[in-house]
Amino acid sequence: MRVTGIENGLRNSLKNSPVILRWLMAGCVAVCLWLPVQAFAAGTINIYSHRQQILIQPFLDEFTKTTGIQTKVVYASKGLAQRLQAEGAASPADVILTVDIARLAEYANLDLLAPVESAVLTANIPAHLRASDNRWFGLSERARIVVTARDRVPADAIQRIEDLADAEWQQRICTRPGSHVYNRALMASMIAAHGAEAAQSWAEKLVANLARKPQGNDRAQAKAIFQGICDVAIMNSYYYGNMKFNDDAEQRSWADAIRLVFTNQADRGNHINISGGGVAKHSRNKQQAVAFLEFLTGEVAQQLYGTVNYEYPVNPAVAPPAELASWGPFKRDKLPIERLAELAPQAQMIIDRVGW
Amino acid sequence: MVATFLSNWSLASRQPIDKWSASTVVLCCFLLGPVAALLLTAFGDSGGLWAHLVDTVLGTYVVNTLALMGGVGVVAVLFGVSAAWVISRYDFTGRNILEWMLLLPAAIPAYIIAYCYTDFFEYAGPLQTALRTAFGWQTPRDYYFPEIRSLGGAMLVMASVLYPYIYMVTRIAFRLTPASLFEIALVHNKSQFWHVGLPLARPAIVAGLALVMMEVVSDFGTVEYFAVPTITLGIFNVWLGMNNLVAAAQISSVGFLFILGLLGLELYARSRQQYVSTSRTQNSPAALPTTPVGTLVCWLVCLVPLLFGFFIPLGVLLRFVLRGDLAADFLAIQPIVTNSVIVAIAAAILIMLIASVIVLTAAFRAGPKLRKLALMSSTGYAFPGTILAIGVLIYAGYIDHGLRFLSGGMISSFLIASMGLLLLAYVVRFQAVGYGAMLSGVRRLPKNLMSASRVLGHGYVASLRQVILPLLKSSFLAGLMLVFVDIMKELPMTLLLRPFDFETLATYTYQFAKDEMLEQAALPALMIVLTGLIPVILMSAMLRRYR
Repeated sequence: MRVTGIENGLRNSLKNSPVILRWLMAGCVAVCLWLPVQAFAAGTINIYSHRQQILIQPFLDEFTKTTGIQTKVVYASKGLAQRLQAEGAASPADVILTVDIARLAEYANLDLLAPVESAVLTANIPAHLRASDNRWFGLSERARIVVTARDRVPADAIQRIEDLADAEWQQRICTRPGSHVYNRALMASMIAAHGAEAAQSWAEKLVANLARKPQGNDRAQAKAIFQGICDVAIMNSYYYGNMKFNDDAEQRSWADAIRLVFTNQADRGNHINISGGGVAKHSRNKQQAVAFLEFLTGEVAQQLYGTVNYEYPVNPAVAPPAELASWGPFKRDKLPIERLAELAPQAQMIIDRVGW
Repeated sequence: MVATFLSNWSLASRQPIDKWSASTVVLCCFLLGPVAALLLTAFGDSGGLWAHLVDTVLGTYVVNTLALMGGVGVVAVLFGVSAAWVISRYDFTGRNILEWMLLLPAAIPAYIIAYCYTDFFEYAGPLQTALRTAFGWQTPRDYYFPEIRSLGGAMLVMASVLYPYIYMVTRIAFRLTPASLFEIALVHNKSQFWHVGLPLARPAIVAGLALVMMEVVSDFGTVEYFAVPTITLGIFNVWLGMNNLVAAAQISSVGFLFILGLLGLELYARSRQQYVSTSRTQNSPAALPTTPVGTLVCWLVCLVPLLFGFFIPLGVLLRFVLRGDLAADFLAIQPIVTNSVIVAIAAAILIMLIASVIVLTAAFRAGPKLRKLALMSSTGYAFPGTILAIGVLIYAGYIDHGLRFLSGGMISSFLIASMGLLLLAYVVRFQAVGYGAMLSGVRRLPKNLMSASRVLGHGYVASLRQVILPLLKSSFLAGLMLVFVDIMKELPMTLLLRPFDFETLATYTYQFAKDEMLEQAALPALMIVLTGLIPVILMSAMLRRYR
């Protein structure tokens, strides 16, 4: 019945359609006039972020509260480097935030970042977690760990990431697709540790051990363990915290089903990646942009990384929050993080070859 | 390519330059800018990556893409054509409601439906849980259940939301088939569907299918979520994994040429559509009465696509939404709804105005070359959204640079960092939809209408205003609504090109859905569907005018 009403209304309005068209055009002109939104305001820094706004908002609020500097954000998962490049000198961006070393390196390779001389940053961030030319800086650490089924796999069954190639795990491993940036970085760390040939042979055996076609994100792998689809999975450590304290009871049960395994504790340490940032080359607010990065490596923000998203602080002077500490201390792979970005293309090629 | 095309065009026309044609050429070339920027990028050095790709993954990409296109095509044609046939040929209870409901899946973005389907069909989802309870199974090893995150799953999911493209045009074609032809089939005891309806509707089906195929080839969200390695997924692996934008642009361009082939197919189909189009002296066929069993069959034919394309995803979203605090959640996203609607309306109007100018000039003032250029200007649709967005960025960078140079630095940025960038991207991508809607409207007009008006002493503009445009109102509005729905759903370009602190429903949904936080993503996703419903209902009301 309602549809007939709409239809009649539409027919009537169609009879008078020149009026509609005129209104449409007037509206169009009005919108066009409203268009050029200029984004340069003093006392405001503009951020291009590869990390969702919901995750960085607590940091931004805290920063504005402390310094009075306002922030504006564009979030996108891919292509921001190309956007910055196309904008060139006219770009309104001041700060770049990313979630992976490969993204940071992309900005650096395209020459989109300004070198920053800051004693605070150098003091707060260990050398292997920042660029040798001071163009980008690691802001938090995320460990890529192995998780196992609490009720089906003994606590010390897996010691090293290399163990995933053992025949014992046939049809028992789940991962997300190999070409995801987290797995690509892990693959790069294997190349760094063993060379390309051995790394490829490891990847081949890992793929042969998979219980199902690689799919979903890291959370979906914990879910698969909970469901009994597989017994072992690769996961970024913070997913565990996110599931453990989730509003959704179902996700909490996924966290209960898994045990965290920090790998390679007897040799090079567990593979880690960083979230990081840098100052845009053509930023008009460089001073405030640097202040923002410094804020992110300070006590308050470093704690926030742990409480908001269960990531580890990079600042050695800041202890991780209690929850993170309860997962146990662990030895980190101290490979200069830049190597992961350098080896990424080679890692992707291996991933293509083995069909991960 | 465009340049050669242009020079041929200008060489061929010896007449004084007509300002309508000239401005249309300029407009089309302006719209082709981002595509040209991508093709230019593809001429760079890809560092020998092709050998590696050919050796390893390219075969898989191509096979999967073709299989996906084939599968989605078959299912979408099956859904769209069978529904169109029963709706236009049979008179049964509930037909009026089903007729417009069948368009509803068009309002659901493919990336949302993928999340919903996974939730519904996976091991912990309601379907398998119910099966386990019913049959007493304990673990996944006790029974077989098809994996939804697979090539087959992607086919089903995409076909379920894309079939309306085919349904819409096919239904009109069936309706415009003269009754006398069906009567001839009846007299000769031949099937009305196989011997009359289907052959005469073929051009329309192919036209709808071409749009479906372009959507399939350019889709990223669904294939990524279902882990189906298609060419588009490969483009992103090469670009982001190997930091090789050049090779990514090259793969995109190959895909683009493939799409041009499909467009050629569409052009061929549309050129044969002439004899289908109505001659108004013929009666449309009367709908046939049905028996109770027949009614049941008709309902089944209509409800199956609706179930997959609308009710299952809607149910999943509602289940999540009703779990939360609806009022508070809605208040929180209300400004985002406003943003989305304003931008979508503004862009839709702009696109329809541009498409109208291009189509009208191509139809009434210009020769076949301009018509081909007009068709080419709508090929932005064939690129994956993010890749096209990069083309738009490169292009906008050039324009701003040029303006800065010409104005001596007075204008520092015109497109960059403004809403104009996003509007440009929408126009480049969705011009195809507006173009298609206007063109099909123009095709339905008697050929000599414009000439008659001109002979009677009206100028071109006066003829347009007084004779042609009033007859195209419904096509304009139909296009407007289609484009509106498309922009409401659009994700990758909006995500990358938006100004600071600007959220649409699609981008807001994405930041949750990306981490599989369906509870938080459900309400904004539902709002996309609901705002998309309004134009779908309006449009279907309008389409009835063709009865």
